[in-house]
Amino acid sequence: MKLLLAAILLSISTLPIVAQQKTPPPPGPARPLNLPKFTEKKLANGLTVILAPLPNVPKVSAILTFTSATNGTDRTNHPGIAQIAAGLVNEGTDTRTSKQIKEELRSIGGTLGLGSDPDQTTMTATALSEFSSRLFELMSDVTQHASFPETELKLAQENTIQQIRAGRANPGFLVNERFQKAVFGDHPYGFVVPDEKSISTLTRDDLKSFVTKYYIPNAAHLIVVGDIEPDKTLAEIEKAFGSWKSGTVPADENPPLPVRDKRQIYFVNRPGSVQSAIYIGNVSIPRSHADYFAIRTADTIYGSSFYSRLTRNIRESKGYTYSPFSSSNTQAKTGSFLAGAFVRNEVTGPTLLEILYELDRMRVLPVSDEELNAAKEYSTGNFSVELASQLGLAGRINTIYTYHLNKSFIDDFRPKIEALTAADIQKAAAKYFDTYHAAIVIVGDWEKVKDQVTPFGDVTMYDAQGNVVK
Amino acid sequence: MQRLVMKLLVLALTMTLGLSSLQAKPVNVPVVYYKLPNGLKVVISEDHIAPVVTVGVYYNVGFRVEPKGRTGFAHLFEHMMFQGSANVKKFEHAKYVEANGGSTNGHTDFDYTNYYETLPSNRLEMALWLEADRMRSLDISEENLKNQQNVVSEEVRVNVLNQPYQLFEWIELWKNAFTNWNNSHNGYGELDEINAATIEDVRSFFKTYYAPNNAVLTIVGDVDSAEVKKMIEKHFGTLTAQPAPPKADLTEPAQTKEKRVSQPDKLANLPALATGYHIPAQSSPDFPAMALLVQILQGDDSSRWYQRLVKEKELTLDLTGGLNYFGNEFDYTGPMIMTTRTTFKPGHTVDEVLKEMDAVIAEIVAKGITDKELADAKVRYKSNFYSQLESSFGKAHLLSVLALFRDDPNQINSLLTPFENVTAAQVKAAAAKYLVASNRTVIERVPEAKSQSGQ
Repeated sequence: MKLLLAAILLSISTLPIVAQQKTPPPPGPARPLNLPKFTEKKLANGLTVILAPLPNVPKVSAILTFTSATNGTDRTNHPGIAQIAAGLVNEGTDTRTSKQIKEELRSIGGTLGLGSDPDQTTMTATALSEFSSRLFELMSDVTQHASFPETELKLAQENTIQQIRAGRANPGFLVNERFQKAVFGDHPYGFVVPDEKSISTLTRDDLKSFVTKYYIPNAAHLIVVGDIEPDKTLAEIEKAFGSWKSGTVPADENPPLPVRDKRQIYFVNRPGSVQSAIYIGNVSIPRSHADYFAIRTADTIYGSSFYSRLTRNIRESKGYTYSPFSSSNTQAKTGSFLAGAFVRNEVTGPTLLEILYELDRMRVLPVSDEELNAAKEYSTGNFSVELASQLGLAGRINTIYTYHLNKSFIDDFRPKIEALTAADIQKAAAKYFDTYHAAIVIVGDWEKVKDQVTPFGDVTMYDAQGNVVK
Repeated sequence: MQRLVMKLLVLALTMTLGLSSLQAKPVNVPVVYYKLPNGLKVVISEDHIAPVVTVGVYYNVGFRVEPKGRTGFAHLFEHMMFQGSANVKKFEHAKYVEANGGSTNGHTDFDYTNYYETLPSNRLEMALWLEADRMRSLDISEENLKNQQNVVSEEVRVNVLNQPYQLFEWIELWKNAFTNWNNSHNGYGELDEINAATIEDVRSFFKTYYAPNNAVLTIVGDVDSAEVKKMIEKHFGTLTAQPAPPKADLTEPAQTKEKRVSQPDKLANLPALATGYHIPAQSSPDFPAMALLVQILQGDDSSRWYQRLVKEKELTLDLTGGLNYFGNEFDYTGPMIMTTRTTFKPGHTVDEVLKEMDAVIAEIVAKGITDKELADAKVRYKSNFYSQLESSFGKAHLLSVLALFRDDPNQINSLLTPFENVTAAQVKAAAAKYLVASNRTVIERVPEAKSQSGQ
């Protein structure tokens, strides 16, 4: 039967027999969500352990977070020490050289890397699940017994300085650095990279005392996701981390944010640029704030989804840019909202105009029901995809602990999103998409675009090193 | 002394566990594979771990076969696939997918172009409808072409022209390492050629390459295979086959002497270096050993080149690269080079870096690799492979390219075997045969003299 049909089709191949369906097929019945569950245990030393089985492949993924070791920690004496420490603890311990650590990882099919941000230092590690105990043992060794060998320290200092110099050639690095400083000022959230002197004067003792003081189990959580048996995994964790000594949790530092009384342009001059890199935004809210779901959804409609207003306007309608975007970055103490695009020099002014127009439109007019429903589906559907990967789920659980969210966040997500109204979105936009007090950061060739930029506000000019220039 | 004991203990542990890991449960991905009468290859793989599904449509056309004078055209065309079809208006593909809880994208590679959606599994049929509509009836207009020429030009500016180094480890290395235009030209495209494309180019490319008999449709996720088959029949069954596309000549003459190029870089602050060595074809018995050799040389921070250049000699800041610049061992068909890219510190020269890279190769050629190195490389290889299988997209990608290039997606369950059977002697032989200066291209990027105000 099928073959016969095929023969007919081939013989009249230019005339389709059956017209293609004109409207999209309706959804099938909803499938069970299978939302992942996690369990929490506390070790005697205060370490919070969170376990979530997800046996999609025979691997295990872990995130160990130190909430007392932030980019702001110790920043008066040693700016950037959290970043340098994070880059160095896996370069040698009391019993392992850097090379031995890398070889151990190789032989368990593992990875282990650290990074720090304004709220935490995180160690992200993976391995084949059959080697989970060896992975925990290595994570524990790096956490407790980092030795900061002189040769490794010297190399890291030299390379970090060079990497930052190399980064200053990159417009993406420059626009982000200037934006964080414009929005957060001297608040620890405004810290991006240390200066060269702070890097080169750090000593082994500084680093040792930093990790002893701030990598402590009673200000840490360990999340393990993957092909695990919780009882066995917990026993392995207990064995690896049980002897880690607790410490004193430092008081929370929370300096005030800068007050922005008007819109201001921060221009980083990069002669020879063929594009302007543009970020526009301001301070927003911490993740735990009641407006979180509203600003997140406003962001989806404005610029963070592909079919967003900003993309439809300056990409699909006007062709100014490849990848316009917006981003709601909510963290423990505060956050930021920003819209951005990288555009050819000739359309720098028109792009500023459209980004600001679309921000104002969100504040002044309610979003349509169609847009709101689409944004809700987008958020809840993609949430399921995120939770289906080991590091996706571990990362999501980490936000619950680092940002002090409800433990029921994963279960609450869908109902909270579904309850939003157009008025909620407009209210959030009115508060956080404030174009009149926005920081406008541009990295580009001043001589080529200055006439397009100056109509939008007062300009402060910087060079690529971050110095104010006339 | 304590350290030595520790080391031996670790070694012993590795050997025993290494053995047990070879006997670990084999990969078992369920695969349903068949072809529609119109030639469309279909792969279905059920996975019920989460209520999501990935739909992938892979076309057997990449930027190697785009027309001369039209560099970047395969990629520009990929953008045109989001500009509407008979029943879907411009850019509404994204609207439908996102409003149904999913995400979508496309990618143009050396030898394939793919389009995919990941979304809640009860929305599968909508995604199939969207893909069938554009495979059947792409809507092509002058206005939309001009719009996407602008968008793609900005993509090239943001990722290439306004960046230091300008992706030289791909674009410049391929231009110089290959002699056949199909392999050597800039696949991202020169701006004037991207903007020279016409409506007729788009129509003819669509007709030639975007036919069901030149594509694979893959569905992976929380679905019922029998139901999926019916949906596929309904939406794709009436598409018509086209004459098979012309077979492009991708043959590449063997390189006989080293190529060295030095290029000024207006935007970079530090010098950088890229090397490319021609590697054996995937069908060559040397291929699995070559793949593990790449792992041993530059697969991770324990690798020989990383250790030598970054750690021991402190010549370079970083070391990146691999066997296939964009993907893995399975998702290309034409000739390939192993690439390596490294940013080196001021005050050093390309020759110093190359000398150390060559010394590492010479050691492998003379003494081979250790049994532990080989066992570890296999564990690392397996672990990376599992990571690719973790997401529905990752699985769909492997299944799709195996169907597209080998007509056999079931190979996903035995892909590791040739790599697990590699011997240390084979790795040593591969180094001696392929990692010779006459088989490589070296490009240096020299920052143009400018005021170095970095303290």
